[in-house]
Amino acid sequence: MNHIQNEIILEDCKSVTSGQISRLEPLKNEKILITGGTGFMGTWLAEIITFLNDTYQFNTQLYLLSTHAHSYREKVPHLATRRDITLIERDIRNLKDLPEDVSWIIHAAANPDSRAHASDPLRTVEVIVDGTDAVLEYASRLPEVKKILNISSGQIYGAQPRDLGGIPENFVGGLDCSAFNAAYPESKRIAETICSIYRNQQRLPIVNARPFAFIGPWQGLDRPWAINNFIRDAILGGPIRILGDGQTVRSYMYPSDMAWWLLNILVRGKTGMNYNVGSPEAITLQDLAEKIAGQFPKPPKIRSGLSKDTSLNVSRFVPSVDLAIKTLDLKITTNLDTAIKRTILWNQMVNPLRW
Amino acid sequence: MKKILITDVTLRDGNHAISHKITKEQIALYAAAADAAGVPIVEVGHGNGLGASSLQVGESAIDDETMLRTARENLPHAKLGIHVIPGFATINKDLKKALDLGVDVVRVAAHCTETDITQRHINYVRDRGKEAYGVLMMSHMTSKETLVEECQKMESYGAEGVMIFDSAGAYLPAEVSERIEELIDNLQIPVGFHAHNNLGMGIANSVAAAEAGASMIDGSARGFGAGSGNAQLEVLVAVLEKMGYSTDIDLYKLLDAADIAENNLVKEIPRIKSLSIVSGLAGVFSGFSKPVERISKEYDVDPRDVFFELGRRQVVAGQEDIIIDVVAKLASQKKER
Repeated sequence: MNHIQNEIILEDCKSVTSGQISRLEPLKNEKILITGGTGFMGTWLAEIITFLNDTYQFNTQLYLLSTHAHSYREKVPHLATRRDITLIERDIRNLKDLPEDVSWIIHAAANPDSRAHASDPLRTVEVIVDGTDAVLEYASRLPEVKKILNISSGQIYGAQPRDLGGIPENFVGGLDCSAFNAAYPESKRIAETICSIYRNQQRLPIVNARPFAFIGPWQGLDRPWAINNFIRDAILGGPIRILGDGQTVRSYMYPSDMAWWLLNILVRGKTGMNYNVGSPEAITLQDLAEKIAGQFPKPPKIRSGLSKDTSLNVSRFVPSVDLAIKTLDLKITTNLDTAIKRTILWNQMVNPLRW
Repeated sequence: MKKILITDVTLRDGNHAISHKITKEQIALYAAAADAAGVPIVEVGHGNGLGASSLQVGESAIDDETMLRTARENLPHAKLGIHVIPGFATINKDLKKALDLGVDVVRVAAHCTETDITQRHINYVRDRGKEAYGVLMMSHMTSKETLVEECQKMESYGAEGVMIFDSAGAYLPAEVSERIEELIDNLQIPVGFHAHNNLGMGIANSVAAAEAGASMIDGSARGFGAGSGNAQLEVLVAVLEKMGYSTDIDLYKLLDAADIAENNLVKEIPRIKSLSIVSGLAGVFSGFSKPVERISKEYDVDPRDVFFELGRRQVVAGQEDIIIDVVAKLASQKKER
């Protein structure tokens, strides 16, 4: 990470925490275990926590558990080498010899990459279902667990009805459990069920977050999501290629907001509740592509390939985040325009081969 | 007017028809002619694609780099395409170099039920900012439902479109329509079709695909391709234009390119030989024709029996070594009788 990228992260951390520090004071002098700790979410959670440690003397210790701890040292040395971060290389399905002084847990271990879900669905299921069970089993043996945040997914709702602006947490949708891409959302559903069981039977204080879509630093542009690919195509000179229907509707949250929301849900979320995490600012892929193209002095062309009229069945994936806004007083601090600008700036300084 | 994206596979599938012995001069000559005709994508390479030159499936007369470099120099307007079967082509050894040489379009192919192997190759191509399409070979060997699932996987890997290949020339038009419609109903990305002419259905099947909603169709000059050849490109374009589709290809110049192909590339215009009909009926990859004919002759067995037995065993491209097993078994049965 060069100094400009470092500045971007620092500014983001400052901005999102500004005037709100006291909300996370319960984390002071505490130890947090983050499973999937070296992924996109884990990295941003660590950026915020280490910022709080450096600036506000939180003295919070992080255990980042991951199967990729070795490559994290190379990829994110400014975090990996810190004294307040301990890397634990372990498969989530087989947890043993973990620290016993942990009082907060964020369970984020799962690969959200749809390519992996399609090519290795059984592993996807095992990591989420067996991993959740293993983490909660471990948590039930700890002397004092203050809160566990289970990172679920906005995909558990299934297809969003066309006339529903944003999916609320009480929406009971439906998934086609035999669809080729059912492994991830179905596993996330059963993981929430496992959390409910541990909450009921072991009295573990568990809260669920249901993330939607994000864009920002530390998220690889090789990830198979429209906005990442649009930005990658644009940085490479274009054209921006819209796969499928340009009228598809999505929304994107900036990751400093995401991390701040997750930490607030961990500390202040009510046990047993489910909170959507994402942006309610809906945009079609066509408009998104145009917005991204407009960020470049010579805007790249936009090309779409669609072989049928899908206007009657436009895909929409946008959360309602009223619950988090009203009950936890959270807000979106970075809008989509700024998120895109900062993401482009960040990635223009990344070697494309490392996307 | 609905647009059909044409890929000219003369310099790749046609390579099968001459045992992969296409020369640098032939590539230069035909590529320039196809480019002048406004063909949007010209696919070049060994018949089995990038990195496939080998004793097992046939050695190319010239290496991939020479083929691609020559084609690139002679395609000032058209996109340069390649066919890639993971396993034959590796990312670091083959694909990286091909993209560095100026390849624009990569069609990553797998047997119709094995698309899992295409993920890394598709990702790599997309990460390099090039066009990546998924290809399901021998698509007649599985159900339309399985084709949908396999194509959905490739869509999730980032393929910008998917093609189903009738590698054995086994389809009838109604079967093509049914499959293309099913794919279009279940995918967001464009769908295409690649015909072989074993049962004389190359053009009819391609038209059926277009009528069912396919927006990408392959063809080759004079039908120059494996077995009894592909959909004959100049006929395909003429028919599509007559039906009201747009291909953006200049027909006169395409006819000139086809003449150039006939005079300079094609030793023998593909025709539907008796054995091609049998391979189409048996559903066996057209590229098996030459080795089946050769080995059957050597052991004095009826090549038609060999094809039907290969069809029963559901062999796929790359399993050419099974031919000798089948022939030996049939020869031994013949002796016993």
